[in-house]
Amino acid sequence: MKDENVLEIKNLKVSFPIHGGLFLRKVAEVKAVDDVSLELKKGETLGLVGESGCGKSTIGKAVINIQRFTSPDVQIEGEVWLKTDTGEVNITNLTNKEMRKYRGMIQMIFQDPYSSLNARLSVGQIIEEPLLYHTDMKKQERSEKVAWLLEKVGLQPEQSKRYPHEFSGGQRQRIGIARALATNPKVIIADEPVSALDVSIQAQVINLLQDLQQEFDLSIIFIAHDLSVVEHISSRITVMYLGKIVEVGIGEEVYHNPIHPYSQALLSAVPLPNPKFRDKKRIILTGDVPTPINKPSGCVFRTRCPIARPECATFIPVLEEKSNGSFAACPFVNAGEHIESTINVN
Amino acid sequence: MAEKELTSKPENTNESKEISTSVLMKRWKKFKTLKRGYYSFLVILFFYLLSFAFPLLINKDALIVHYEGEYYFPVFQFYDAKTFGQDRPGETNYRILKQEFSNQDGDNWVLMPLYPYSPNENLLEEIPGIPPHPPTMQNFAGTDDRGRDVFARLMYGFNISISFALVVTMFSYILGVVIGAILGFFGGKIDIFGQRLIEIWSTLPFLYVIIIISSLVQPNFILLTVILTLFGWIGITYYIRGEFYREKAREYVSAAVSMGAKNRTIILKHILPNSLVPIISFAPFAIVGNISSLVALDFLGFGLPPPTPSWGQLMDQGLQNINNWWLVTFPLIALFLTLLCIVFIGEAIREAFDPKVYSRLR
Repeated sequence: MKDENVLEIKNLKVSFPIHGGLFLRKVAEVKAVDDVSLELKKGETLGLVGESGCGKSTIGKAVINIQRFTSPDVQIEGEVWLKTDTGEVNITNLTNKEMRKYRGMIQMIFQDPYSSLNARLSVGQIIEEPLLYHTDMKKQERSEKVAWLLEKVGLQPEQSKRYPHEFSGGQRQRIGIARALATNPKVIIADEPVSALDVSIQAQVINLLQDLQQEFDLSIIFIAHDLSVVEHISSRITVMYLGKIVEVGIGEEVYHNPIHPYSQALLSAVPLPNPKFRDKKRIILTGDVPTPINKPSGCVFRTRCPIARPECATFIPVLEEKSNGSFAACPFVNAGEHIESTINVN
Repeated sequence: MAEKELTSKPENTNESKEISTSVLMKRWKKFKTLKRGYYSFLVILFFYLLSFAFPLLINKDALIVHYEGEYYFPVFQFYDAKTFGQDRPGETNYRILKQEFSNQDGDNWVLMPLYPYSPNENLLEEIPGIPPHPPTMQNFAGTDDRGRDVFARLMYGFNISISFALVVTMFSYILGVVIGAILGFFGGKIDIFGQRLIEIWSTLPFLYVIIIISSLVQPNFILLTVILTLFGWIGITYYIRGEFYREKAREYVSAAVSMGAKNRTIILKHILPNSLVPIISFAPFAIVGNISSLVALDFLGFGLPPPTPSWGQLMDQGLQNINNWWLVTFPLIALFLTLLCIVFIGEAIREAFDPKVYSRLR
């Protein structure tokens, strides 16, 4: 593990078996995450983008080790190394009991601000919950910490007596952020934290996350499907397609000069606010995303790729460095090359 | 970027200092606005609490006897007839004693309870003729075929019916919630095998088991509670198991796991309070069912042992003496009113706990 990394994911594979037949044998499996390696540097925000079902959230849940709780028969291979005060630990295969002592160091912000807060508990009780498990603070100290955290996320300390249903979506997401910060974690996994909020609130919550990242020295894995949101917050962006990483690079670079054909297609779909740039050709992909139960051989993107060749079916492309800090999993494109759209939008 | 210009201030801070309410408090407030159910609840609660004071209100034993300058409290202590100079064997009859004292014109006196008859007391000494006796001003509801006061029996029977239903409901709920929670939370093999065992258990014919047990031993309050509990928990596990399956997949439970909560905390603090709504709304109807069960068993003669004042046993007498209208009417009225009130409570609770506030069937 490199020194500046706080989290390293090595060859992570997550698959969900499908049972069928008379005796519920395993008949197939969904390879939600297929051989993914990532590293998260200290203090950086790593954006993880891709369309629905590409395995972004599954990576998040596997890293934080709650995937086994929600779907007990999931199969997880590979390694997730977390840097802790006492050394590095591989947290992939820890049982829930063994994992408990590392939970304070890696926390998650959930997607849905409505269902991620227990409606029966007051805000104070929700935020102090991680303190109960990871510290031995007295009641008084805990309520002081809760008040301090509430102020940090832009709410009022008096609101700790209130219940979640008395808050708006954005306020609830702030409560979720305060809860995630309670134990001073090193790593935060933000699983689409703003996709359930409307645009003006999204900006507030993202700016809040950025401020808190500086103040608490957080390393964030930011999962989203909204590219402009990811570009705004991330120092590096990872693009995923069908459980595989197709491109990793510096945020601005990936956003403005994507290399991999899929990234180019994805980014050409982002609506541009400036009409001057609207003459840019869109790359329209044909067909649907193949089912993750039965993926195409070789390159998973070849069935929809505008520059696919016959040999794409024969080998699985690996990430190669295309330019300084930019990696793409396609041997047939180079940095700065733009794919000619086969279909003209206009 | 435009987004950066937006401040990081909260979108709308609520300045009001009003007391915040939990979901449960909101539902209680909603329940209070549903007058029919709320008043039924108050009536049932009042009578049930009052029924524990029935020994002071409905009793053949006098509250206070003042006899030759001394005070006696027969409600709390037994005095035989000779203590007060009554010429009869065994217990003092305080109603007769009261008449004797007023005839004597001395300063001896007797303070009787409001309704001076006991449920298990034979009145043939005072009321001549063959029982059952029709209602009079003294005996509001007449007497049964053994000359016992029907009104007193009905009143004491109310306490027994409600107590029995509450105890059975409580124990079936505890058993059902524990088993349903284990099945729903752990799932997998535990769930599959647990469900099959429950299915096997649920095929046991309840009535036949009761009949067999009653033919072996005379059932008492505790034995009947145990038997009804053993057959009453099954439905609850289905509700709780389903709720646990659903709630377990919600994000707040994932959040609790990711915070490092133990299974016990997750079950008790997070999932359980969120899965009680269906069984709380079902509780009044379960109580109605348990009251009816006890009445039915008593009616068939497999219920509480004979001298116990029970509604089912009175109805059985009513059936045997169908021409004596008071033996049929009064137990039925008592049962009807009680069940009606509890059903009203149940409907109000169901409406108060309805997550879809505006989807009432009106």
